[in-house]
Amino acid sequence: MNLVYTIINLVVLYLLLRHFLIRPVTQIMEKRKQMVEEGFKNAQDMQDQAARMKQEYEEALNGAKQESLRIVDSARRSAKAEYDRIVGEAGDKAGSIIESAKETVRVEREKTMKELQSQIAGLAVASAARIMGGQQNGQKDSILYDQFLKETAGETGEGSENED
Amino acid sequence: MEELNCETVFTLPVLGGISESVVVTWIIMAVLVVLSIILTRNLRVENPGKVQLALEAAISWAQDFFEGVIGKENRGYVPYLITVLLYLGVANTIALFGFKPPTKDLNVTAALAIMSMFVIEFSGIRKNGVKHWLKHFGQPVPVVAPIMALEVVIRPLSLCMRLFGNMLAGFVVLELLKYFVPLIVPIPVSFYFDLFDGLLQAYVFVFLTALFMTEEME
Repeated sequence: MNLVYTIINLVVLYLLLRHFLIRPVTQIMEKRKQMVEEGFKNAQDMQDQAARMKQEYEEALNGAKQESLRIVDSARRSAKAEYDRIVGEAGDKAGSIIESAKETVRVEREKTMKELQSQIAGLAVASAARIMGGQQNGQKDSILYDQFLKETAGETGEGSENED
Repeated sequence: MEELNCETVFTLPVLGGISESVVVTWIIMAVLVVLSIILTRNLRVENPGKVQLALEAAISWAQDFFEGVIGKENRGYVPYLITVLLYLGVANTIALFGFKPPTKDLNVTAALAIMSMFVIEFSGIRKNGVKHWLKHFGQPVPVVAPIMALEVVIRPLSLCMRLFGNMLAGFVVLELLKYFVPLIVPIPVSFYFDLFDGLLQAYVFVFLTALFMTEEME
């Protein structure tokens, strides 16, 4: 009879211990295991994400580098064009200034020449008149005189115009 | 010597006499259950206390041990084996607290052995089916069938007798020693018989049960 009681006792003890001892402890351990696994998974995910972001950044950085190179290059090219243009303009301007200076010089010289001519003509007339006044001989001389007068008169007219 | 007898503590009207070993078993049950309730009261997933850590270490050690023997896929039997291990561990060492160990009573070890027998055969049937279970008696040749059938009884019988013999012998030796030399000398002997042998027999009992289950589930 006591054998049966012991069996019943054992079964009851089994049920009680399973309920009060083994199940709670096992559950807690399971939960912790799950948590740890979850933590590991999260960490792995984060690491993956970080690696992905790093790659993206590197790509962006690379693109930016190329972009900056391109920008610098184009800036250099446009600066060169601008430089060429400015230098060319300056050259042109200098050329035209020189040209106009030359022109001015030429005009000045012509003017001076004309003045000189008119003065020389005046001198010539004066000297001729003195010579004519001293000799008064022949028809040939009279013709020469007229001709000379005619010529100098024309030139003096011009010279006087220029002087005005 | 009256210590060797299992006295009837009291008699119930219908159920008959209740022996000492059953009463001690009740005490053990009460202690185990109350301890479990106290220890598992404040279990936490994070920042477990020292007590919880020790408890988890003990339980997981036992689980790993039994799963190692009977395999991970048969972990359903582990709680029963842990229960028997705890019960036997306490029962075999309870002499330290002045109780007569219930495992010194043949009724208790027989009850344990019968339960082991049922669990062993049940695990085999559940795993491989009744047909396979019936067939395995005729393996490897049908001539051995009677021996194989005997084995069903012999295995738990050996479990029962080993436990009973060890505990009874230890108890008797200790009582004799206490009778002749009551001072100091029983201390190391008590350590050996009550603690070491008691825990060893508990271990052997559940280990063999698990081993026979594995054999049966093959």
